[in-house]
Amino acid sequence: MKAVVIGPGRIGCGFAGQLLRASGHEVSFLARNPALVDHLNRLQRYRVCLVGGVERREIVVDGVRAVSTADAESAVRELAAADLIVTAVGAGNLPRIAPLIAAGLQRRGTPVNTVAFENLSNAGPYLRQLVADHLPAGSALAGHGFSGSVVSRAVTERLGDPAGTEPLVFVGDPASTFAVSGPELHRPLPEIEGMIVTDDLAAWMKRKLYVFSAGHATCAYLGYLKGYHYIHTAIRDPEIRAVVLAAMREGQRGVAALYGPEFAGDESGLRLILARFENAALHDSITRVGRDPARKLAPEDRLVGAAQLAQRAGVRPARLGLAAAAFCFDPDDPSAARLQSDIETAGLGPALRQVSGLDPRRGLGRLVKNCWARLARGWQRDNVLLSLDRLLWAWTPRQRGAARSAPGSVPYRERSSNGGFALRLERSHRARGRLA
Amino acid sequence: MLMLEKSRRRAPSIMPEVMRLLAKWGVKVDAIYPEARLTDLAKLRIEHDLYFLKSGSDLAWSIAGALHAAGAKVIDPYPVAALMRDKIIATRILQEAGIPTPESYVNSRPEQLVPLLDQGALLVKPHLGSNGRGVRVVWDVDELDDLPSGQGPVFAQRYHKPDGLDRKIYCIGGQLFGVERVWPAQTYAEKLGTPFTIPPELRDIALRCGRAFGVDLYGVDVIVSDGRPYVVDVNSFPGFKGVPDAALRVADYIYATARRVLEGGPARLTEAACA
Repeated sequence: MKAVVIGPGRIGCGFAGQLLRASGHEVSFLARNPALVDHLNRLQRYRVCLVGGVERREIVVDGVRAVSTADAESAVRELAAADLIVTAVGAGNLPRIAPLIAAGLQRRGTPVNTVAFENLSNAGPYLRQLVADHLPAGSALAGHGFSGSVVSRAVTERLGDPAGTEPLVFVGDPASTFAVSGPELHRPLPEIEGMIVTDDLAAWMKRKLYVFSAGHATCAYLGYLKGYHYIHTAIRDPEIRAVVLAAMREGQRGVAALYGPEFAGDESGLRLILARFENAALHDSITRVGRDPARKLAPEDRLVGAAQLAQRAGVRPARLGLAAAAFCFDPDDPSAARLQSDIETAGLGPALRQVSGLDPRRGLGRLVKNCWARLARGWQRDNVLLSLDRLLWAWTPRQRGAARSAPGSVPYRERSSNGGFALRLERSHRARGRLA
Repeated sequence: MLMLEKSRRRAPSIMPEVMRLLAKWGVKVDAIYPEARLTDLAKLRIEHDLYFLKSGSDLAWSIAGALHAAGAKVIDPYPVAALMRDKIIATRILQEAGIPTPESYVNSRPEQLVPLLDQGALLVKPHLGSNGRGVRVVWDVDELDDLPSGQGPVFAQRYHKPDGLDRKIYCIGGQLFGVERVWPAQTYAEKLGTPFTIPPELRDIALRCGRAFGVDLYGVDVIVSDGRPYVVDVNSFPGFKGVPDAALRVADYIYATARRVLEGGPARLTEAACA
């Protein structure tokens, strides 16, 4: 079988490509980066390093090749001849590749399955629609399969230089399963190592998002506040560990109420997730995991979505609410900068409503707003939270109009002109952009 | 990674835990105790990606200096650490940077301090000392007889009676942590002190100290007397006693630094961390 993987990135190479080759399939990558295309064609191989606990396994993925998407004719020819199409380009880039897929499908006489290895709910129908939008009216997409997938592996790094002569190395954890949506795929189904076919991919997506990803984001945001650089460091902080575990429990109880306790998993599953967070070999940085807070605070996403589901299950999402309030700003992250600007100009309430759809005056919105206000007390650019329980900061903010202030001085706050709660933002080229 | 560590410790150190964490995270850590072995200087080579100097012994300092001269990457580089270790040089650098320090004097014989006692008590310190060892408050001329004579420079600072507890401010990669403690701390619990939230004035002073030396892993001792702060000591790579989760934070900092060094970056982010 011939598989075409669009996007030779961390998941494309470090997960999809590896499993496809292990299953005996021919693999070609479609890539935008000419250096990467050249590299893969020169070496025709790369390495996947799987690390977890004492386990360390290196796999050489060979017999691969690549085609540049700039060479549209060749790329379309690859897609037209494929028995399986895989995307791993990042959810935000799907609209860019949809025309290419549409052109490939138009040339085909037989239906084909496309599996989106993207961190996106409803990725299958979404990609189907994107592709349909680029087909002439009346073109049939009905026979083709489009499924999202839930990937278990975290691939955190690509090492090596595409211009060099050594194979690139993709570092990830050993998890090797992925779920796809059976009803959305064309028969016969592809045979791929680690593939789980489910009738309810949304349930798998929610479980991953509201338990694993919620815990991951909680660890990143609280770790950022406490000044850590890595997930594996932050998760060893007793306060953070306790909150991450509690947040995942809240998410898990919401999933259990919706899909049943057996599917949601138990405490042992949460302990396994904590062990994955402890995996230092992944070099998983706080800023990488915390990236794009606006997306991570979206109504259906890992924190707000999980908290709302927990609420519906009768669970007060105190820790998920705290994590949602603790979102970090990385000054190099455009999404974070936009969110920062929105809060600065409109105040937290309107920004929260816009990003999360939450009403800051009631329910979960009020919980998040109150947590945010508590965290903001004493917060200043680049300071560090000493104690999450006591909310003790490394230093106090400078008071406006006061040259000095005593330790433990009254926190700076002000009311915005529209009556909402507002906090002054300090900026600099290296500022974390948090609240002052 | 190499650690130069003295073999005897006066109080429980965070370093064993720092090393345990780093090893767990896949870092190969070699602890080297120069006093415990014979070193052939001709065979002294850079064998590690990153070094840090955590010792008070003269031999360890000399070995660190030799490694520095050979081009080793060191978290707390030998030249700066050596400046900070010498209270005479360190105090002058602090003064030059406009950081408040007590009036400070140097001479070679204790009796030369006599005229200064007319204006009040003095704190006499070994100029290469650490951990408060050998520090004495001298109120009267007759107490000068108790000071060691002919054993190198005599370093004296005006004694300012603290308004309250002494404040230790620790910097780990630009993050500041405050600990209040009694002086002199006798027990381990007293050395741990109590974390406090650093007021802006002390924060600025501590950051300026880091900038003055170009370091981002250091400690500053501050006393406040009659409402005025005075920096009375600075240390490279201090013990961080009393800093919450100190071992975890220091290990995180060293790990991040090691990653940066492996990627071809600098051992310190002084400008970014302490600007």
